[in-house]
Amino acid sequence: MNLKTKIARLAGRSSKYLLHRFTTGGSSLPGKLALAIDPNILTSLSKDYRTIIITGTNGKTVTTGLTVNILKQHYNHVLTNPTGANMQQGIVSTFLSDNKDTGSEEKFAVLEVDEASVKHITKYISPEIILVTNIFRDQMDRYGEIYTTYNLILEGVKKSPDTILMMNGDAPIFSTPDVPNERRYFGFQNNDKKTDILAHYNTDGIICPQCENILHYHMITYSNLGDFFCPHCGFSRPALSYTLTSIDELTTESSLFTIDGEQYNLQVAGQYNIYNALAAFSIAQYLDVPSKLIKTGVHSAKRIFGRQESLYINGNDVRINLIKNPVGFNQIIELIKLETEPYILITILNDRHADGQDISWIWDGNFEDIAADTLNRGAYVSGIRMQDLQTRMKVAGFNEEQLFSIKEPRDVLSLIRNSPAKKVYVLATYTGMLDLRKEMVEQGILKERMNI
Amino acid sequence: MTLEICHLYGNLMNTYGDNGNLLMLQYAAKSQNVKVNTTLVSLGDDFNADKYDIVFFGGGQDYEQSLVSKDIQTKKNELLKYIENDGVVIGICGGYQLLGHYYINASGQYLNGIGAIDFYSDSKSSTRLIGDITTYNQRFDITLYGYENHAGRTYLGKSVTPLGEIKEGYGNNGEDKTEGCMYKNTFCSYFHGPILVRNQALTKVIIDLALANMNRRQKYINA
Repeated sequence: MNLKTKIARLAGRSSKYLLHRFTTGGSSLPGKLALAIDPNILTSLSKDYRTIIITGTNGKTVTTGLTVNILKQHYNHVLTNPTGANMQQGIVSTFLSDNKDTGSEEKFAVLEVDEASVKHITKYISPEIILVTNIFRDQMDRYGEIYTTYNLILEGVKKSPDTILMMNGDAPIFSTPDVPNERRYFGFQNNDKKTDILAHYNTDGIICPQCENILHYHMITYSNLGDFFCPHCGFSRPALSYTLTSIDELTTESSLFTIDGEQYNLQVAGQYNIYNALAAFSIAQYLDVPSKLIKTGVHSAKRIFGRQESLYINGNDVRINLIKNPVGFNQIIELIKLETEPYILITILNDRHADGQDISWIWDGNFEDIAADTLNRGAYVSGIRMQDLQTRMKVAGFNEEQLFSIKEPRDVLSLIRNSPAKKVYVLATYTGMLDLRKEMVEQGILKERMNI
Repeated sequence: MTLEICHLYGNLMNTYGDNGNLLMLQYAAKSQNVKVNTTLVSLGDDFNADKYDIVFFGGGQDYEQSLVSKDIQTKKNELLKYIENDGVVIGICGGYQLLGHYYINASGQYLNGIGAIDFYSDSKSSTRLIGDITTYNQRFDITLYGYENHAGRTYLGKSVTPLGEIKEGYGNNGEDKTEGCMYKNTFCSYFHGPILVRNQALTKVIIDLALANMNRRQKYINA
């Protein structure tokens, strides 16, 4: 290690110590400082680690969390970055924070990386695996088109040609073969090759990569994911290296599914999370984690904060879900459709920078699917753009007499306390969730601050 | 009687909540106790000018738009006939652009339009026009509110009326104070947000025009 790197490392670490000592938590500042002194610091920081990068539109955090939990069953030293610290500075900070001295044993770094930042990381690190969960339309003020996002990721992948590229084989966009890297796909098994269906019309990424006609499907899991084929040119889903054999049970609490004859119990609900578990499984199997330990790792994973949080407030069972784009939103709708008990639905929509300033995506969300749900005991809207939500839900067919708006987070919280149904679903954009959590902290329901 | 809606390239041109316009049209018609039937017309499908009362044509990603630009040439004659016969069309963003002569996209690709209305679009400047926008429509005396986010700049021919004069925001090109265009019963705009959700007065105008066409079409069928 040269002197510059040593100084950079020291500066980063001491700032980290000071930040921790005198403020409420860490940040990406140590990384920023260290990078300013030595822009190449990632190369030396990461040199003793086997690095795995996880990126994509949805499911990065859950997949990273699951992977870490599985690897920890088999390996002692697994480093990961906190949610939100998924750009270069945050990743430098993450490596700086790893003070644990575990001698000469193998060290792993499992990193959630923002789609546009992959290339800034692979400039310095040659990861063993880059895994891409999926690419969907995100907020329009982010990277825009799905092809733009995919190309940003590929730019990063190409910088490291020895890296294994693992991708969701059920996503047509990932079939384009213009990278030097070895590719491995994971996906859902399907033996029924007779069914011939189309994706919902309001879905993107459904064009045949070979002949540019509209793709058909033998089976759709959600959005544009499934066993696709092209009736015009014969193009079809690539061969899968890691296959989900069957989904055995889906509830609002958990899922049971089978991979390679082994049944797994995932304590995070939703079909989309089975994809995340399958992604984590693929990484773990590649890294030689015995299947018994993969099972333990999957089973013991807790709900990962914010995605699906469960709280008891005044005896009511409150489920809080983060919403940010239509595909993620629709998955939560799918979850609510599994509900068997009466519930109320609270949707909070803000349009601050962290939420995404353009909220028109709510018109791509399938509110229609639960509009007439007889278990719904009331639909409530809140947040800066609650009027827009109200219109959206009215058009979707929600009963106007059961559709209410609540302005203040305080009033939302008292509704939660006094809910007409025991189950409460809260769907909130990022700052909407922060506002509600702040209120919960003030009223002593929550102790911890959100770690951002 | 059934209001026939054509969702033109609805499975390719459907970005940024544009679907909300379609949902709002369906809702507005149903609120007047009119039955609605929506048909998706896409790659390789025929468009029949006599069959529809409203055509909705939304915005899309560059790649999808380039495919649509090729395919729409096969539907060009029927679409021109439909527009000339006072058929109601709502074109948003990419859909709007393809109703003009041509569009040169951000990567310099030349996309043919159908030239139904005298305008062209390009994206010479790399800056996107983003933000809240307010315009005024003289024909119906309506103020329109929206959100714009587009790289394309549209330049209207001398005799073409804009959908609105800019009060706030950029509009067609950020220069000439025009936004969208209006020709017979064809209404085009860059507004997202979606335009027919935020501007109920415009939705009413459009539904009334479409219902009049529906009645006319029905009489013709019965005659």
